[in-house]
Amino acid sequence: MKTILVVDDDDAIRMLIEMELQEEGYRVLTASNAQDALKLVETEPLDLVILDIRMPGMDGLEALPRMLGIKEGLKVILNTAYSQYQDSFMSWAADAYLIKSADLTELKNKVKELLT
Amino acid sequence: MDPLKHLTTIVMAGGRGERLFPLTRDKAKPAIVFGGVYRIIDFTLSNCLNSGIRRIYVLSQYGSLSLDMHLKRTWDIMRPELGEFLYSVPPQQITVDRWYRGTADSIYQNLKILDEERPQQVLILSGDHVYKMNYLHMLEFHLRKEADLTVAAVPAPRREASAFGILHVDHDQRVIGFLEKPADPPGMPENPEMSLVSMGVYIFAAETLVRELIADAKRKDSKHDFGRDIIPQMVGRKKVFAFNFVNPQTGQPGYWRDIGQLDAYFQAHMDLLGEEAVFDLFDGDWPVRGQVSLAPPTKYVTKKQPVEITDSLIAAGCELQEARVERSVLSPGVRLGRGVEVREAILWHEVRVGVGAKIRRAVIEDGVHIPPRFTIGFDRKADASRFPVTDGGVVIVPNNVTLEAP
Repeated sequence: MKTILVVDDDDAIRMLIEMELQEEGYRVLTASNAQDALKLVETEPLDLVILDIRMPGMDGLEALPRMLGIKEGLKVILNTAYSQYQDSFMSWAADAYLIKSADLTELKNKVKELLT
Repeated sequence: MDPLKHLTTIVMAGGRGERLFPLTRDKAKPAIVFGGVYRIIDFTLSNCLNSGIRRIYVLSQYGSLSLDMHLKRTWDIMRPELGEFLYSVPPQQITVDRWYRGTADSIYQNLKILDEERPQQVLILSGDHVYKMNYLHMLEFHLRKEADLTVAAVPAPRREASAFGILHVDHDQRVIGFLEKPADPPGMPENPEMSLVSMGVYIFAAETLVRELIADAKRKDSKHDFGRDIIPQMVGRKKVFAFNFVNPQTGQPGYWRDIGQLDAYFQAHMDLLGEEAVFDLFDGDWPVRGQVSLAPPTKYVTKKQPVEITDSLIAAGCELQEARVERSVLSPGVRLGRGVEVREAILWHEVRVGVGAKIRRAVIEDGVHIPPRFTIGFDRKADASRFPVTDGGVVIVPNNVTLEAP
């Protein structure tokens, strides 16, 4: 079973993504901030991370290269309400950049694409 | 429009320089003394100044203190209020917890610089090459070709070329093949005895560079090196061009040396000497900035015999007494006693040579005191029992040994 880490400071969004991905048959771990997420990247065998950008403390763009530094080749989807970070070189290290939506179809399709 | 406005320049200066041991045992390779009053990195930085580039990042790592001290003493000349700078950047260890894994990784780890600068092109240089090159000409070529990557290239004898990346180009200078350090380098079609080698001087389209570095960082089988990984990956897929490095005055291939090992270090010094030096330091159009020193003029002292100097470079602040110096390079503050003979030798700062000592084919580190009547370079076995001796027979005298008078 593939394991996905969902990182988002918004409890509702985190739970929504968690539930829907579990329904799809994935093992899902969650973190509400980047520091906790980095600990999980270090200790858990992960296949994919869904990463919010704007979070209190360390933001997603700072966490991303650190995650890749810990686990080379780790797949990451940036999932954010904002489009302006697409210009940041840091965001280019992600495998996908998605704009948050209540409809998770696009996210789920991207997850499936990256994990097959 | 000034094309340099959209250029970010990065000098890689972090390598360990193992093949220059023992000269690199306590300092960075780019900080090694060269040509009496220079450090190797001065040639690349002077190229930048002479090309009009005054915004420079120097990526340091191994032995960075020696490099930082030199940059502070000699290169603290940029004017921040005009937007100029020369920053020495050690590994930040912010995004990753490691040293640079290779040349490409050193840039990858500093992507933040590019994210903040947002250049259109990135010029990547090495701090351990000796040459005079106008990077603006290369940038103009890169822009004209609308290249993703331009690699500076120069022909080198085929038997020496296996230490470098070898380029295969078509009639339009497009790179169609790249071999990193092949055992048997292919010759150039028009001259089979020469190979076209990469000088380790690159201009990238900035966004291409970022994408290639990110992709490379994720490759598990990569050594994260420009020559080994990034360039071979791009050839055939991206627009990679070779820029022929020629001397603009003669139209002949320019002088370029990678100071990769001790014999090359020695030979590059010999290239500085003579009436028609292979590599001319006396070019008013292309000044090389070296150490600024308060040393007095050099003093030549004679009682009975004259001081005899032929085909040599003698820095300021030396004191030579009835000595004979031939085809040698002396850094500031060297003192030669009466009857001393120095031939084909490189003496660093403050070396003292006692009365009657004889030195041949040697590199002597700063502060070494050679006792009276001591000989170096005349008895290979005796030399090898005391000092490192190169394949080319050059004796290296490090300054962590005490020499006993014979």
